[in-house]
Amino acid sequence: MRKKELKLVVTFHTTADAMAMEKTCKEKNAPGRLIPVPRAISAGCGLAWCAALEEREAILSVMGEAGIESEALHECMV
Amino acid sequence: MNFNLSDSKKKLALAGVVCGLVAAALAYFGNPANMAICIACFVRDTAGALGMHQADTVQYARPEIIGIVLGAFAISAATKEYRSTAGSSPMIRFVLGMVIMIGSLVFLGCPLRMVIRMSAGDLNAWVALIGFILGVATGAFALKKGFSLGRAHETQKSSGVVLPAIMVGILLLALCTTLLKSSEAGPGSMHAPIIISLIGGLIFGAFAQKSRMCFAGSIRDVILMKNFDLLTVIVGLFVVMLIYNIATGNFVLGFDTPGIIAHSEHLWNILGMYAVGFAAVLAGGCPLRQLVLAGQGSSDSAVTVLGLFFGAALCHNLGLASSGTALNAETGDVVAGAATPAGKVAVIICIIVCFIIAFTNKRESAK
Repeated sequence: MRKKELKLVVTFHTTADAMAMEKTCKEKNAPGRLIPVPRAISAGCGLAWCAALEEREAILSVMGEAGIESEALHECMV
Repeated sequence: MNFNLSDSKKKLALAGVVCGLVAAALAYFGNPANMAICIACFVRDTAGALGMHQADTVQYARPEIIGIVLGAFAISAATKEYRSTAGSSPMIRFVLGMVIMIGSLVFLGCPLRMVIRMSAGDLNAWVALIGFILGVATGAFALKKGFSLGRAHETQKSSGVVLPAIMVGILLLALCTTLLKSSEAGPGSMHAPIIISLIGGLIFGAFAQKSRMCFAGSIRDVILMKNFDLLTVIVGLFVVMLIYNIATGNFVLGFDTPGIIAHSEHLWNILGMYAVGFAAVLAGGCPLRQLVLAGQGSSDSAVTVLGLFFGAALCHNLGLASSGTALNAETGDVVAGAATPAGKVAVIICIIVCFIIAFTNKRESAK
């Protein structure tokens, strides 16, 4: 089984924002992948963007350019 | 207390096993076999108990529905996950609730019952699964294309308590008065003792809240992210029901199986569940998940649940619900169940409505 690591997890207000994030990151070759929102963060069942901790600045700038608003940024084991 | 049920696949499967045991127990104690804890059937029965429709064989205030909402409410309040939210296109959600119920009653069961019927060897449910997966895939495609009903916002704490309070009200009416209708024959007359049904519902609701159990979501996550977490919960439930059905001699592989309350019109089983899968992804969850989300404070999901009730009433008032294959008591002949003409038209309209909703509601950029 894959070992869990501390990762940056970005949550969004809507699933559509998460989908837009995936599309934007693919276009701009930004790092990360789509995951279900970790249960420890939320009782909701939406999607979140998961990337390495050190990618924080890159992720934030991509979101700023694309006009994608985050709900929150977390650091948790994924 | 560490109540994290979802940090490993084993625990997720365990949640499914617990819910499967509850369903098996409810069937054992008197609920219609293979209905066990079907959300669509039981919302329909509860709508009947309230007099919203007059089909006298399917009227009974099901404590399971009340229990699931209150179980999710109690566990989310106790673990500080209760959040009163609202404002994500409520009337569209109401319509999606109607679509989910109409599709379910043409197939004869919600996704939960589809899985329970699959575990009993009912091949009609396996056929319907094709439609359900295609429906979820269509919904997932819409999500990829930017579908959104807009974000929900925090609202008055009391707003999220309304549906749980209504459920308590229905329970009190059922326990203390003779106002509610109650079937004397048919599926509505078959039920476990109230206290067992209520406790079963509470346990089911609590575990579903902790594990985020969702039949539509499980397939959506596989399609969108190749993530099998939620599917693990469903597999756990399926395995328990399979073992129960084999052990009790209820496992019969076949299509025309009288007693299961199903029909073998494949096209309409597929299209019925297609509408359910599609609408459930757009609404963000299957009927079970809507009850749980409503319990943990979402007024948007509560409105979807009201849509389920309204849809159930329409189904029986307008003759949209299918009939199940049954034995003629006098001749012993098998009488094939069927979707009704009105039900077929309704399913087509429902699918068209889903497409309109899916491709006209787009995400707005924050810019």
